[in-house]
Amino acid sequence: MSSSSSSPSGDLSERRGIPAAKFIQDVETYLSQSSLDSNSALAFHQERLQQYKVVEMKLLAQQRDLQAKIPDIEKCLEVVATLEARKGTGEALLADFEVSEGIYSRACIEDTDSVCLWLGANVMLEYSCEEATALLKNNLENAKASLGVLVADLQFLRDQVTVTQVTIARIYNYDVQQRRVKQVTPTAIAAADS
Amino acid sequence: MQQQGKSSGSEMEVTWQDQQNINTFSRFNNRFHELEDEIKFAKEKCDNLEDAGNELILADEEMVRFQIGEVFAHVPKDEVETRIEEMKEATCKTLEKLEQEKESLVSQMAELKKVLYAKFKDSINLEED
Repeated sequence: MSSSSSSPSGDLSERRGIPAAKFIQDVETYLSQSSLDSNSALAFHQERLQQYKVVEMKLLAQQRDLQAKIPDIEKCLEVVATLEARKGTGEALLADFEVSEGIYSRACIEDTDSVCLWLGANVMLEYSCEEATALLKNNLENAKASLGVLVADLQFLRDQVTVTQVTIARIYNYDVQQRRVKQVTPTAIAAADS
Repeated sequence: MQQQGKSSGSEMEVTWQDQQNINTFSRFNNRFHELEDEIKFAKEKCDNLEDAGNELILADEEMVRFQIGEVFAHVPKDEVETRIEEMKEATCKTLEKLEQEKESLVSQMAELKKVLYAKFKDSINLEED
């Protein structure tokens, strides 16, 4: 569907399902090669822009979720580390925790070798402190890696949005210019005839 | 999104290099706004830790309730002091790094602005609205 206008090499034609926006070297060539008139070309690119925006919303939501998850995992790691540090000493850890909004209760945590981790879906498993630390660290790494990929996806997407917006502007300007030329020519011919 | 490079003028030739410059400027601008938020967050955290440290000096109890994760653990005052110092140092270092990144971004954006305005003059708008 897109024209054969050259896109410099080294760029992806799509990334994880997101199609890249082809850069147009020359508007006139593009329109004649794809045999589109300005309006259809504009409509096509504007639709593309809307699709990009939808994907952007989705990715931004995923990014927010991940950005909330990472501090949670880090907090868990901190607690497990504190428990592990206390292991040798034999003294119990007193902790105040929230029972409900504004209501706290005191817990006395004895020396322990194991912790229970909430895995989600109403499942909680007991792990030794080392295993728990390893699992949490693994989850943290995965979350950070996913976030990295997501950020790269968003950057790619934003580039395509920018290219599409510039293309729309250029096609519009070209169209305006063509109309101006058409308006001038009949008057010029009329003037030459008379 | 409002502050993209859009050609609103007449027949300006846009080369691939120009497009890449515009894309890069857009990326920098997005990163700049993210950085501003991150810096604000880090500054707040730094201030909170500072206040916590000061409160600690005034407190006369031996056991302090220190927040670890979601619970408040009873920790001896000295240990809390050490922890707060460590956290303050880490946060201040992060804040410094973020500020440096922001500065470099600002200068790079100024460079790109010069290039793009030179080529497109009035046809492009790179200001915040």
